[in-house]
Amino acid sequence: MDVQAEVAEYFCQILREDHDVSAGIAAIRTLLYFLEKDNSKTLQELDNKLSKAIASMRQTDYPITAITSATELFRRFITLTSLLDNQSFDKCKESMLSRGQLFLNKLKEARDKVGKMAGPFIVDGCKILTHSKSRVVLQTMKEAAKANKRFTVYVTCSSPDESGRLMCKELDAANIPCTLILDSTMGYVMEQVDMVMVGAEGVVESGGIINKVGSYTMAMCAKELKKPFYVLTESFKFVRIYPLNQQNLPKEFKYSASKLQNDLSKEHPMVDYTPPSFITLLFTDLGILTPSAVSDELIKLYL
Amino acid sequence: MKADSSKEEVHPCFLRFVTDVKQGKYSGSSEITSKTLDLLKQLIADGEFSNAQGMMDTIRAHGRYLHKALPLHASVGNMARRVLKIVREEYAAGSKIIKNKSEEIDPQESLHKIITSVESGEDYSSHVPDLKSGVLEHISEFEMELETSIDNIAQQAQEHIHSNEIILTLGMSHVVESFLRKAAAHRKFDVIVVDCGPIGKGQQLAVSLAKSKINTTIIGDRAIVGIMSRVNKVIIGTHTVMANGGLRALRSCHAVALAAKHCSVPVFVLAPLYKLTPQYLCSYDQDGFNSYIAPDGVLDFSDHPTLSQIKRYCPVFDYVPPELITLFISNTGGHAPSYVYRLLSELYHPDDYEI
Repeated sequence: MDVQAEVAEYFCQILREDHDVSAGIAAIRTLLYFLEKDNSKTLQELDNKLSKAIASMRQTDYPITAITSATELFRRFITLTSLLDNQSFDKCKESMLSRGQLFLNKLKEARDKVGKMAGPFIVDGCKILTHSKSRVVLQTMKEAAKANKRFTVYVTCSSPDESGRLMCKELDAANIPCTLILDSTMGYVMEQVDMVMVGAEGVVESGGIINKVGSYTMAMCAKELKKPFYVLTESFKFVRIYPLNQQNLPKEFKYSASKLQNDLSKEHPMVDYTPPSFITLLFTDLGILTPSAVSDELIKLYL
Repeated sequence: MKADSSKEEVHPCFLRFVTDVKQGKYSGSSEITSKTLDLLKQLIADGEFSNAQGMMDTIRAHGRYLHKALPLHASVGNMARRVLKIVREEYAAGSKIIKNKSEEIDPQESLHKIITSVESGEDYSSHVPDLKSGVLEHISEFEMELETSIDNIAQQAQEHIHSNEIILTLGMSHVVESFLRKAAAHRKFDVIVVDCGPIGKGQQLAVSLAKSKINTTIIGDRAIVGIMSRVNKVIIGTHTVMANGGLRALRSCHAVALAAKHCSVPVFVLAPLYKLTPQYLCSYDQDGFNSYIAPDGVLDFSDHPTLSQIKRYCPVFDYVPPELITLFISNTGGHAPSYVYRLLSELYHPDDYEI
C-alpha cells in the first residue's frame, strides 16, 4: 500500500518542483524510478505492480489524459523490450532500465522538434489566437520571436482555472505582444486572427484532440470563419480511445479524481473533445500530420 | 554550411537548364521533370564518388541549387528527392549483401521507434561496389515510370467517366487531354472547357478535343458558377500537389472547386506522382507562392489612357484547399486527399523533405 503512496508522492513532487515538465513525462519518470526500485522476480509480477502504480497516479488531481497515454506507452515499452531480450528476467530488466533512459530522452526532445515544424507557419505580421496554457505553443512562439518574427497573440483567460493569465504573463516576459481576452470573446476576435494554435492533453485515435474545455468551441468558431486550426502536440500524448461525442468521453478524463464522487451534473468538465474534422493540421515530433495520419501511427505501435 | 562551396561546383548543364526554363523553352511540367531527371542522371554518370554519402551530397547540392533558382517548379526538387531515395535504397541493398543485415530500417519517425529506441542515424560512408551502376539502372526504371505516368492515368478514364455525362475542365493540360480522349474511345459524353485566358489556353484544349469528335463547349471564367449545376464531374490537372492534399493549380481552379462544392459536384484531380511535394502552404498570403506574368491579357496595352491610373496583376496560380477535392487520380490509382501524407512517406525519405 505504501509503495503506491510513494509513487503518487514522487509523481506529484516532480510536477510541483518543475513547472516546465508535462504530466506525461512526469508519469514516465515516475515509472522508471519505480522500475529501478522494484524487486519483482517475474515479468507478470512486475506487470501487476505497474498497474497498481499507474492506478495510484490516476488518483492524483493532475490531468489524467496525459497520464493515461504516457503510461500506456510505457507498458508497451516494457512489453516490446521484454520481447527483444528474453534470456533472463534480470538481464531483461537491465536493458529495460538502460533503454528506458534513451526512451525518456527521446520524449524530452519532442517539444523542440514540434517547435521546429511549426516555426515556418508563424509569419511576419500574423495574429494568433490560442487557448489556455500550453508549453509546446509557448515554446514555439518564443522560438519564433527569437527568429525576429513579429506577430501578436490573443490568449483566452480560460476559466475555471484561468491558466490563460499565466500564458499571457510568460508571453509578456518573452516580449511577445499579447492580449488576454475573455472566453466569451472567442467569436469576437476570431475574425481578426489569421490562425488558431492550441496544444493538446491527448490526441485520440480518430485524430481529434482532448484539450482544456473551450477548445471545441474555438475549433467550431475557427471552422465557421475558415481560419486554420493547428494543434501542437508531442507524440506521447497519442491515446488509444475513440470517443464518439462529448458524453462518450470517459468520466475520469473530464473530472478530476477528487470530484468523481460528487453529483457530476453539477460539476464543470475540465476537458472537451474536438473531432478531427475541425483540425487543419497536427504538428508533432513525428512530423506534420493530418488528423487521419494519427490512427496510422497508433496502429503501427499497437498492432 | 556546404552551400557556399557547392555553388561554384554547379555543373554547367544545370546553369543552362535554369536559364532555359526561365526563358520558357520547355512547355509543361512533364518536360521539365524529365529533363531534370536526365541532368541528375548525367551528373551521377559523370561524377567520381568514393561512397554513397559523396553522391548524395552532390545530388543534394544541385537539387538545392535548382530548387532555389526555380522555386515555383516543385517537381524539380521532387526529382532530386526521388533520386536521393534511389541512392539510399541501392546503398541499403548493396550493404545488406556485404554485412548480411536482414532487418530493414523504416526511415519514418514513429512512436514504435521511439519506444524501441532504435537509433535512426545511418551512415552512408562505407564503400559499396557497383553502387553507381545500380543507381543508374534504378533511375532508368524510374524514367520509364515517368514516361508512362500520363498513359497510366489515362488508362483509368473508363472507371471515372460514364456515358452521357457532362464533364467540366479548365485550361490546357496534357494529362486531362489524354484522359478525356481515352474515355471518348469507349463512351459518349460532353465536355465543357473553361477558357481561363490569357494563361490557361483552354481554347487549345477545346480544339484538340473537338478534333477527336468529343462534344465540346468552351465558356469564359465568369460562367463557371452558372453552368456548374448542369455538370456531373469536374476533372482538372494541377501544377503541384501540396503535402496536406491542397493544390497549387491554374488560376480559377479555386473558383471551380468552390462552385463544385456548392453544387455537390465531385472534383477529380489528375496528378502524376512527380507532382507531389512535401511542402506546405504556410500562410494564406499568396505572394510567396505565386508568380505574376505580363498582364496585357487582362487589360490591353492599347487602352493607354487608363493605364496610369490602374494597377494590373495577372497571377498564375490558385491555392485550392484539400477539403474541396474529392479524389486524386495518380499513375498508381485513386487516392483521397487525406491519404496524400502516406504517399509522401512512401515516395521520399523524411531527411530529404528539406532539400
